[in-house]
Amino acid sequence: MKCRRCGEPAVIEVRRHNAAYCKACFFHVFPEQVKRAIKQYDMLRPTDRILVAVSGGKDSLALWDVLLRLGYDAAGLYLGLGIGEYSTRSGEVTKAFASERDAELIMVDLERDHGYDIPTAGRKGSRSTCAVCGLSKRYVFNRAALEGGFDVIATGHNLDDEAATLLGNTLRWQTEYIARQSPALPAKDGMVKKVKPLHRLSELETAAYAFLRGIDYVVEECPLVAGNTQLRYKDAMNAIEANSPGTKAQFFLGYLDRAMPLFKKEDTAQLVACEACGQPTTGRFCAFCRARAQILGERLGERADERDTTDDMRELSDEVLPVEIYGDAR
Amino acid sequence: MVLDELGVNPDTVLVIRSGELITREARVDDADEIEIRPVISGGSA
Repeated sequence: MKCRRCGEPAVIEVRRHNAAYCKACFFHVFPEQVKRAIKQYDMLRPTDRILVAVSGGKDSLALWDVLLRLGYDAAGLYLGLGIGEYSTRSGEVTKAFASERDAELIMVDLERDHGYDIPTAGRKGSRSTCAVCGLSKRYVFNRAALEGGFDVIATGHNLDDEAATLLGNTLRWQTEYIARQSPALPAKDGMVKKVKPLHRLSELETAAYAFLRGIDYVVEECPLVAGNTQLRYKDAMNAIEANSPGTKAQFFLGYLDRAMPLFKKEDTAQLVACEACGQPTTGRFCAFCRARAQILGERLGERADERDTTDDMRELSDEVLPVEIYGDAR
Repeated sequence: MVLDELGVNPDTVLVIRSGELITREARVDDADEIEIRPVISGGSA
C-alpha cells in the first residue's frame, strides 16, 4: 500500500478517504484536519489561553501535542479519578508528556479536592459510574477554566465518539441534545467555550498519530467502562463502517452541515448559578453538587418538590452518553 | 489477512511489527512479532 501523497510505503490507511499515508505525510494531513476544524467552527484565536482536558489516553494527548505544535498557548488539566492503577498510570503518562514539552499542567484530584473518588461514587450514588465520571469531569474542567482565566476548553472527542453520541441521541430522539452536538460551544452564562478540534479524525487516526509521535499513552481501557452504552454504539457504527467506509463521517459531518440548523429551536436551556457552588445549572443546585451530596451523605437543603426535573432528564441521558449538556450551539 | 483470520475489524486496531505501524496489506512472516493494539475507548474525554 502506497502513500497517496508521495508514493512511499504507507503506514496508515484511511479507508473513508480511500487513502493511505506514510509517516511524514500523515504528520502533514493530521494537523491539517485539525486546522480545518478550528477554522470552520472558529474554535480558537491565536491569543486564546486554551485548557486541554487530558486523560492520559491517545486522543487528549494527541490533541495537546498538535495544539502545541501549531503554536497555541495550551495548558493541560488532568483530573485524578481514583481508579486504582489505571488512574496512577494515567497521571504518570500525563505528567511525563507535560514535562517533556515544558507545558503547563494543572492537576486536580477528585478525592483530595471534592471528597470522593469514582469507584466510591459508582457504589454510593444513584448514577452509573460512567455518568458520574462524565459529570465530574465537565464540572471540574469548567470550574478550573473559569478560575484559571482560560478562554476555551479543548477536549479530545474524535469522529467515532461524536458519531456514536449522535447515534444514541438519534435513537432516542433526544432533540435537545441533537441540537447542541456542535464541535464548538460558545461561552454562555458561566460556561467556558468548549471545542472539539479532533472531530474530523477517527479513533484509528488519533491512535496512529499518538503512536507515530512516540507519545506514551494509556492503551488500556478504563476498567469501569466495560460494556457501556457508548461502546455498544461504537460497535454498531464500526460494523456498518466495515462494509461502507465513510458512513461515520457522512453521518456526523453531514449532520453538522445539513441537520444541526434544523434542530436549533430545540435548544432551550436557560442557565442560572447553582446556590451551592455558583457554577451554571438549569435548577437550584447543579447536578455535580447534588451528586456529590448524595455520595457523601450530605444535604443541600433542597425539598423533593423543588427538584429540577429538566436537569434530571439531562442527567438521565448523560447516564448512557458522554454528552456535554450545556451551551447554545451544540 | 491476519486480521481477517482473527475476525478483527482493521479500523479498530493498530497493527505494530517491530515497533513499526503496518497496514492491513503488509505481509507478515510466522517469525514476526505482531502487536494488535485496540484503538476504541468508551469513556467521556
